[in-house]
Amino acid sequence: MKKKKIKIIVGVLVLLLVGVSGVVYYLFNMPHRNIQEAKTDYSISSSEIVKEYLVDATIANEKYLEEEGDSKILAVTGKICTISEDQNNQKVILLKDTSDKAGVSCTFTEATNGSTKELTIGQTVTIKGVIRSGAGFDADLDMYEDVIMEKCDVVNE
Amino acid sequence: MNKLSVAVIAIAVFTLTAFKPSASKLISKDAHISFFSHTAVEDITANNYKVVSTLNPTTGDIVYSVPMQSFEFDKALMQKHYNSSKFLDTKKYPKAKFTGKISDLASVDFTKDGSYEADITGNLTIKDKTNPINEKATITVKDGKVSLNTKMNLALGDYGITFSGGKPSTNIAKEIAVTVKAIYQQE
Repeated sequence: MKKKKIKIIVGVLVLLLVGVSGVVYYLFNMPHRNIQEAKTDYSISSSEIVKEYLVDATIANEKYLEEEGDSKILAVTGKICTISEDQNNQKVILLKDTSDKAGVSCTFTEATNGSTKELTIGQTVTIKGVIRSGAGFDADLDMYEDVIMEKCDVVNE
Repeated sequence: MNKLSVAVIAIAVFTLTAFKPSASKLISKDAHISFFSHTAVEDITANNYKVVSTLNPTTGDIVYSVPMQSFEFDKALMQKHYNSSKFLDTKKYPKAKFTGKISDLASVDFTKDGSYEADITGNLTIKDKTNPINEKATITVKDGKVSLNTKMNLALGDYGITFSGGKPSTNIAKEIAVTVKAIYQQE
């Protein structure tokens, strides 16, 4: 009788331990959010989001940024102003209307760089990515900063 | 002075002011900043390729604007912790900023190819804490293209980032190494 009881207790403990270590292992190795597979939170034009930020950055940050960095996933439509490459060999496309003070700077990834091949300056495209920071005039830089999006890819309609 | 010469002078003055290279500020929209934390338990690296910087060769003014949510970690959970209100609180403070100057501007010749050691002094603001920075940087001029490299150590405690206990206090170094590389373009 006593032996059986001990067996049950040990069994429960082992199960608990396996469960807890499983959770810890999962959390520790939790993969990054797959931005392209995740649901789009907002579909918006580059001019609209820039305007939202220039009108009131605090309200826009409240709407688009998330506390743990998992900020909103946007599909931004705009005119291609420049195509460049960053220091990590990632393609960077600036969506900006000629009449706007700032645009949306979209950084692609190693996996999505290829999607920019066919794009040309002046073309209108929709790009999906995660927002990192907003637009605004910075007095120290003495220039407008763009909205920043990363993990981008072109949305094919 | 006849009317014609007045007109000529007016046009000349206008052209000179309009087409004078406007202080020719240099801009980088994809500067790279990484940080590295080393403890006996683990090494942590994060990279940010979306830093905006300006450098004015005439005045020596240097500015860095750092979008804090653009720091990418290997582990997703670490990135969450870094962004959270307990650490960098990036929703409330989406950008960090450095404003400063090349204090020995004469030691850098922006018109001549070469590698120059420069002293940079200024202020770094992370979250709502500002501290003075005094560091050496290497400014490289090559084929007219200017780039800046520097490495510095930052004490997290100076910016109100402290760990009283638990995993962070053993896994995150009190002082982290920050590497900066900016490649500038003409405005």
